[in-house]
Amino acid sequence: MIGAEGHYEVKLGPLPTLTGKPTHYCAGCEHGTLTRLIASALHELGVRERTVLVDSVGCSVLAHEYLNTDAIQAPHGRAPAVMTGIKRMRPDLLVFAVQGDGDAVSIGLSELIYAANRGEPITIFLVNNGIYGMTGGQMAPTTPAGMITMTTPHGRDIATTGPPLDASKLLATLEAPAYVKRVLLPVTPTPSADFYNARGSMEGARSVRNAFRVQEKGGFSFVEFVSTCNVNWKMSILQSKHYATEVLAKVFPPGLFKDKFGVEKG
Amino acid sequence: MESVTAARDFLKGNEALAYGALKTGLNAFFGYPITPSSEIPETLAAEYGNPQYPGFKVFLQAASEIEAINMVIGAAATGAKVMAATSGPGFSLKQEGISYAAAMELPMVIVDVNRGGPGLGNLGPEQTDYFQATKGGGHGGYRNIVLAPSSVPEMAAFPALAFSLAFKYRSPVIILTDAFLGQLKEDLMFPEVPAQEFDTSWATTGARGPERHILSSMHLDLPELSRHSEHLRSKFEGIDRAEQRSEKFQTDDADVVLVAYGICARLAQRAVGMLREKGIRAGLLRPITLSPFPRGELAALVERGVQNFIVVELNTGQMVDDVRLATGGRARIASMQRVGGLLPSPLDIVHQVEAMSR
Amino acid sequence: MAVVVATEVPKSRVVVDAERCKGCDLCVVACPQRNLHLSPSLNRSGYHPAVFEFHGAKGDCTACGICYWVCPDFAITEVSRWKA
Repeated sequence: MIGAEGHYEVKLGPLPTLTGKPTHYCAGCEHGTLTRLIASALHELGVRERTVLVDSVGCSVLAHEYLNTDAIQAPHGRAPAVMTGIKRMRPDLLVFAVQGDGDAVSIGLSELIYAANRGEPITIFLVNNGIYGMTGGQMAPTTPAGMITMTTPHGRDIATTGPPLDASKLLATLEAPAYVKRVLLPVTPTPSADFYNARGSMEGARSVRNAFRVQEKGGFSFVEFVSTCNVNWKMSILQSKHYATEVLAKVFPPGLFKDKFGVEKG
Repeated sequence: MESVTAARDFLKGNEALAYGALKTGLNAFFGYPITPSSEIPETLAAEYGNPQYPGFKVFLQAASEIEAINMVIGAAATGAKVMAATSGPGFSLKQEGISYAAAMELPMVIVDVNRGGPGLGNLGPEQTDYFQATKGGGHGGYRNIVLAPSSVPEMAAFPALAFSLAFKYRSPVIILTDAFLGQLKEDLMFPEVPAQEFDTSWATTGARGPERHILSSMHLDLPELSRHSEHLRSKFEGIDRAEQRSEKFQTDDADVVLVAYGICARLAQRAVGMLREKGIRAGLLRPITLSPFPRGELAALVERGVQNFIVVELNTGQMVDDVRLATGGRARIASMQRVGGLLPSPLDIVHQVEAMSR
Repeated sequence: MAVVVATEVPKSRVVVDAERCKGCDLCVVACPQRNLHLSPSLNRSGYHPAVFEFHGAKGDCTACGICYWVCPDFAITEVSRWKA
């Protein structure tokens, strides 16, 4: 069949919710993957023109360079408070932030807990890679015991620094939040080691969509993405996916902690 | 927005300020209790939902001073009229937020009811937050506009002026008052507030087509940050040229001029009367804007021949530095100080002036 | 002598923007059919970009889209199916 008639029909293509700028994220970083999932959900829901992104401090600080929506930058850890201010004045807007584990669980823990406790109809995506990325690899509240970081050069000692903090579990103890979920985002090695499973991306895509739906229904939504930071973990990209699956995901097991509106069933 | 008609009342300074804000169309208030400012959130909480103030949409007590200022940032980003109120320790906590707000050029009004400090201090009136309010206060290079009321009627009137300046220049405006004025009760007339509409096309209320609004204080490119900082400086230079405000009392023929703001100005004004009775030609210059400092008026007084200035303030010498700068070494500047929440009586001021005249 | 060349149109196509790609290898390892591999040559940023081939080591591309969802850099810009 020489010169068959037809055309390529685009199944998955460019998104108007992405600016198209190449990212500053390290090769293989889940920040990039999450940005794609968010852009896709915003496009699907058709909400670009009433969305406000709140940039946090950390690797997500440049998020507005990649997501094509209105944006405001919050001081370190304060995104949940800034989002509260926006949403209280303008309940018609879709307001969300991407925060790192330092931003949300260390300096911003109080703001996170209180926004969640008030049930503010906002959405927070936590990228938890157990380390401070942007500042060069220091210990985070979520760093597992024994992990070597720039401020724990002999491995994190629980006796002096306490154990890692579980943000999803903390928020799940509160009455008000409507959707609290933890997803293992990286590709994960399969037993046969033949190929890597992309289940994390697909689960992540669903969780992002559900989180926005929960906000539209008036609930507080929070999704924690267990991720990697191969540069600061001092591993290769694929090694970091193994570490995330074998170590980090055991400290922070994926799960659905709260689903008041039953969006996971729908 | 309809203008609000004048009305008469007898209120505490803090209450008057709260009502002044409501009558000028306050949209949102985020606060945290701290003595001696708590009457402001309490009054606003009581009036929330009053159909007389249809614009007052949000009242929220935050979990901390820091949470409050960041909520202010978020609400201000939507173009709303937003206010927060605190005292010294809370004002310190808010500095990071104010720095971000200044960098992003967000209009907002922050009230500091100055109490005794530093640290926990006490609940007496001081003017020790002068440096913090007028010299920036937070990190990085920027300046706030700072208004200093000295009476309960001014506490009622200044929110309208503050919001007008905040939106005109897209800047945080600090109302710096003190524990005495906050609690003082006086007869007042609420001024008629003309309806004010402001340009808020910069607000983050959703992208429109390809056009989107980004409010960011991050300028990683060095020349870009340099341009932004220079823009903030030249913006303040414009404010300096156009917005210096002060009040003169019997300075036209004065040999010695007292310089005082807030509650000190009330005491100094009484002292001027007492000095005049004794034949001493005294006058008072009362700064109304502490930033921009009324350098123009001070320089004019020196030009006219005034050789003696006595700065009366409730600290260990803060505004006196600005008076020295403004008078350029061409006059004698003396500093009369009281701290700890203690106030000089008008007679104390009279004695001080007499002692310095000898 | 006539030569008849029959070309089969690839049923699906993945477009990789080689200059955006950071050679992270995730699309390569996640693709069930092994349709992607890293090129031995370098792009302008010094990375080995991913290259798509319809006939992979384990089978033909099915346009499942896993590569698109996994790519952190939006370098996989299009996944399409041939419509006759």
